[in-house]
Amino acid sequence: MSDMLLFKDIDEPGLNTLSVYEARGGYASLRKALATTPEQVLEQLEASGLRGRGGAGFQMGKKVSFLPKGQMSKYLVCNADESEPGTFKDRELMQKNPHVLIEGIAIAAYAAGADRSFIYIRGEYVLQADVLDAALVEAREAGYIGDRVLDSEHSLSLVIHRGAGAYICGEETGLLDSLEGKRGNPRLKPPFPANQGLYQGPTLINNVETLSTVPTIIAMGGEQYAKIGVESSTGTKLVSISGHIQRPGNYEIELGIPSREIIYGLAGGPPEGSEIKCWFPGGSSSPVLLPDDLDVPYDFDSMAKAGSMLGSGAIIVVDDSTPIVDLALKVAKFYRHESCGKCTPCREGTNWTVKMLERIDSGEATPMDLDIMASVQDHIIGNCLCVLGDAMAMPIGSMIAKFRAEFEQHIEMARAREEATLVGAAVGVGAATAGSTH
Amino acid sequence: MPRPAPNTITFTIDGREVQAPENSMLVDAAKHGDVEIPVFCYEPKLGNPVGACRMCLVEIEGIGKLQTGCSTPVKDGMVVNTQSDRVKEAQRSVVEFLLINHPLDCPVCDKGGECPLQDITFGWGGGISRFIEPKRHFVKPLELSPKIAIDRERCILCYRCVRFSQEIAEDYQLVLLERGAHSFVSTFDGHPYVAPFSGNIIELCPVGALTSRSYRFRARPWDIEDAGTVCTLCPAQCNVSLTVRDERVLRVLSRQNDDVDDGWLCDHGRFAYPALAQGEGPSETGSSTVKVLQGNPAAAANGDARGIRVGMRVSRPLLRDGGELRPVSWERAIEEAAVMLGRSGAKTAALAGDGATNEEGFLLSRLLGETLGSPHIDSRPSGTLAPELQRELAEPRLQAKVSDLEFAHGVLLLDCDPLLDAPILDLRLRKGVRRHGMKLERVSGEDFGAVRETAKRLADVGEEVVIVWGERFAAGADGAGRVRSLLDLAAELSLGETDGAGLLEIPATSNGRGLREAGVLPNGGPGFSEREQDGLDARAIADALAGGELSALYLFEVDPLSDGDPFAAAAGARADVETGEGSASWARGMERASAVVAHATLLSAGLAEHANVIFPAGSYAEKEGTVTHPDGRLQRVRQAVAEAGDTRPGWRVIAELSLRLGTDLDVYDAKEASQQLFDAVPFYAEMTLDEIGGRGVRWQEREETVAVGNAVLPQQMEPSAEAHSGPDRDTHAADNDTEGEHSTTGELPHADDGENEGEGRR
Repeated sequence: MSDMLLFKDIDEPGLNTLSVYEARGGYASLRKALATTPEQVLEQLEASGLRGRGGAGFQMGKKVSFLPKGQMSKYLVCNADESEPGTFKDRELMQKNPHVLIEGIAIAAYAAGADRSFIYIRGEYVLQADVLDAALVEAREAGYIGDRVLDSEHSLSLVIHRGAGAYICGEETGLLDSLEGKRGNPRLKPPFPANQGLYQGPTLINNVETLSTVPTIIAMGGEQYAKIGVESSTGTKLVSISGHIQRPGNYEIELGIPSREIIYGLAGGPPEGSEIKCWFPGGSSSPVLLPDDLDVPYDFDSMAKAGSMLGSGAIIVVDDSTPIVDLALKVAKFYRHESCGKCTPCREGTNWTVKMLERIDSGEATPMDLDIMASVQDHIIGNCLCVLGDAMAMPIGSMIAKFRAEFEQHIEMARAREEATLVGAAVGVGAATAGSTH
Repeated sequence: MPRPAPNTITFTIDGREVQAPENSMLVDAAKHGDVEIPVFCYEPKLGNPVGACRMCLVEIEGIGKLQTGCSTPVKDGMVVNTQSDRVKEAQRSVVEFLLINHPLDCPVCDKGGECPLQDITFGWGGGISRFIEPKRHFVKPLELSPKIAIDRERCILCYRCVRFSQEIAEDYQLVLLERGAHSFVSTFDGHPYVAPFSGNIIELCPVGALTSRSYRFRARPWDIEDAGTVCTLCPAQCNVSLTVRDERVLRVLSRQNDDVDDGWLCDHGRFAYPALAQGEGPSETGSSTVKVLQGNPAAAANGDARGIRVGMRVSRPLLRDGGELRPVSWERAIEEAAVMLGRSGAKTAALAGDGATNEEGFLLSRLLGETLGSPHIDSRPSGTLAPELQRELAEPRLQAKVSDLEFAHGVLLLDCDPLLDAPILDLRLRKGVRRHGMKLERVSGEDFGAVRETAKRLADVGEEVVIVWGERFAAGADGAGRVRSLLDLAAELSLGETDGAGLLEIPATSNGRGLREAGVLPNGGPGFSEREQDGLDARAIADALAGGELSALYLFEVDPLSDGDPFAAAAGARADVETGEGSASWARGMERASAVVAHATLLSAGLAEHANVIFPAGSYAEKEGTVTHPDGRLQRVRQAVAEAGDTRPGWRVIAELSLRLGTDLDVYDAKEASQQLFDAVPFYAEMTLDEIGGRGVRWQEREETVAVGNAVLPQQMEPSAEAHSGPDRDTHAADNDTEGEHSTTGELPHADDGENEGEGRR
């Protein structure tokens, strides 16, 4: 793609070092930002229309503006706990271009008035955390992070914190608890982190990709950036494509292009001889879409209109060789395992769903169980403390709605198989008994 | 620090307009309109809501998703719906989710019948179960501690106990382990949950997951009665509700009174009840922690049927005969005691201790003064203070109250350890520090310069400073000097003129303040009035007995030779720091006394060796009367169970003894004793038991007291003997049917009030 922003120089050797990054124009945006006022930086961010790339898609500029003004300790936290199944864009970004994230954090912190920042990176990203650590040392030495950044009045500390491997710590308030050293459980909202976040202080939390986009916005100007993409979904987006696909990987696309162009155009479509059965447009927590939906433009609003969501921008393609029950079980098991257990519907609902799916698979279910399962999903959605419960209930609910016939067939076949086994065993026992009496 | 003073707003709930305090949570605001929103995890006592159980989902106009009523502050004009199909379905589904892993073993569950999960399932549940998979299983029940059993299958993971441990008691022992459906409440590495306030989690638990090991399987909710009273095992005087079955106290629950205890109990108060049980020796679970239990429980457990051993409950009058204590009839015990005391007359001394009510103390002082003509009576283990100092200390404006400990800018603990002296105040102080940023300092009274310095440092933070001081601060020869310095410091910091600031003394005995105000002092009558002749204080009494100047000793729930008794402790402390005398002088004094007459709940070592007559005394669960909290709050102690064995009320024994000695004290039931007390103490003017009620009343805050107060306190009072001997006397002839005349007097929410009318019951 010609107009790549984040991945422009991504495969440049040595981009993770400060010298190469600076040679490519790195940290110029930070200098530019520091030459203006925080309010002016915030204006640029708001003008860009940049929506959060972590999953919720909330406008970043607005989020920054929610932080209370005034002299108090404020925090900026970068969410690098990239755990949504199918998502691996932040990983490549941090590994190959750590400085763009650090620069983005420095600019966003300046706009938000934060003087302490953290990167909460998932523990499994050992290499990426090491790369970030090294980049941070360079950035500190160069004066981009620390007291009086580039001799301005603005000071910023940055701590890279490695998580211990829980999906729930990617939820922003769970992340804050974990960062504070507590069990990573989501908090009740309100209060939102902008008012009471880390250590009860005002806190801005953004995803890696979001923050990494900030230097570009400052460089080209918010209004200019807003011209990329479509209205209400501006800019470019990193998309991770995986599953039954010929060229899996990360791609940077302009928001609003047809999904087919990504799946077939960029990633080459499903393997020869197989057809797409369904696809997740935004990670495993987004409701599945069908091949008929391939022409839906890939942007936040169009995906919502199609009954799903853009989420973290992770497309998972499932071909027709996969039984839908297997897919549902895989998804449900993941969320059961990752549910923190704090709120009732998620804790019990994910567990119950897995048990029902296992019953379906082992031939102990009837089609009536599908109704129960569907109603359990309805009871989870919207009733939980955080969105983890919804993250299971939405895709499972969509699978039951869209593949009900296949579920029923699966139930019948599994029962027939069970019965055959039972009958076979009974016959075998009978034969053995008959044999012994003679 | 500013106290919350909410505005009243109007909002609409289920189509009706309701007024409620602004920003109160919807769950609480709804109650103003008689609407109940079901909750499990919400408990305001635990601090901020967590919104975990999702039971309280309601619909709010203008908000798309259902909201948790426990965490949504009510605003003016809000329109709330708790009855829509959407809300009902959400509530049904949460009940269903909670029940899928709940064992439903209600028939064998202690909580059955008083279980919020049962009630909410009945009220808001769907009535059917669609879950046919195997439930989650844990080993059950396990010992969470020697006092508490945990059944993890019943647990609905509401977090209340964990929040209590982490945010209220701050012992940080309870945690949630594992995740999701595998979560369970535990302690680190399975260590027992041993903490001073652990028992509160039993009451917090909305299901039968946490049960009291000593109450397990002892009763069902439908065969118990609740009896509200006040725990008098320490000066904190927490409000309690006793669970009574077949005239036995089986359980002690909190009876929330935010002005006293915030709805918490310490483990001493909660688990001491085996010692209160009728006619029983101490049980294994209670013995180590119960203040009233002294001596050797093992000996009691092995006690044979013939004799009574140290540590056992005294339930019949005992008389020393041939060197051994033997049970005798009341007639004989009173006769013998009267003879001994009559012989001793003005050479008799008396001490009143931990269990004594105001009325018992007051009548005891009358017995000594009017009947025996002796001024030697004391209730201050740490030594007496001059009457001027006492009155100055009791100055109403200078009194801090319990809630001040929460909102003050700073609190100074002076020779006082709340956890030991009045445990529940420890939680209040923690609350102040945690939620209101209160500064807390602790200092020893030995160096008053340091005290002054620390207090001033606190006063620099904010003017509302409370100094909590232990009675031992005033002990010793220079005690009066130190108290003078303390009063000067209070004046210097204007504690008397500042709302929310002041002094709070924690007496050494449970009802120390009440006994002093009732006149159980060698140098002051009721209401700190002057006496015609000053008597000897506790320490001097010991010496005078040893020296032969006094000949008889009357001990009202005191044993100065028993470990743990405040008088013994004060004497012991003195032995260390001063002359090396102290407890030794008590041993000599009791040895030389020609007569020792005692009221005792449990037989203690000193009484077993020295007492000539022991009258059985009721535990607090068996008494009727009033006590006074360290902050001046009069509270009613109500009789919950019949007196153990042959026990008679203390007021009645004293009155009979006095009558036998030739003086009629005119007391024929417990309420008359209270009335006499109210008449005698000027600042209890026109007090009635009704007025005290179930919540108590601080006399400093009463209009009647304020009217007479300033005239009363700083000035000299007439000796009070005349104050009560007038009008009552004539009416008593007709008072054999006293019930009629007094039945309107105030009642607690008692299970069976008719039974608690003292005199009439036996």
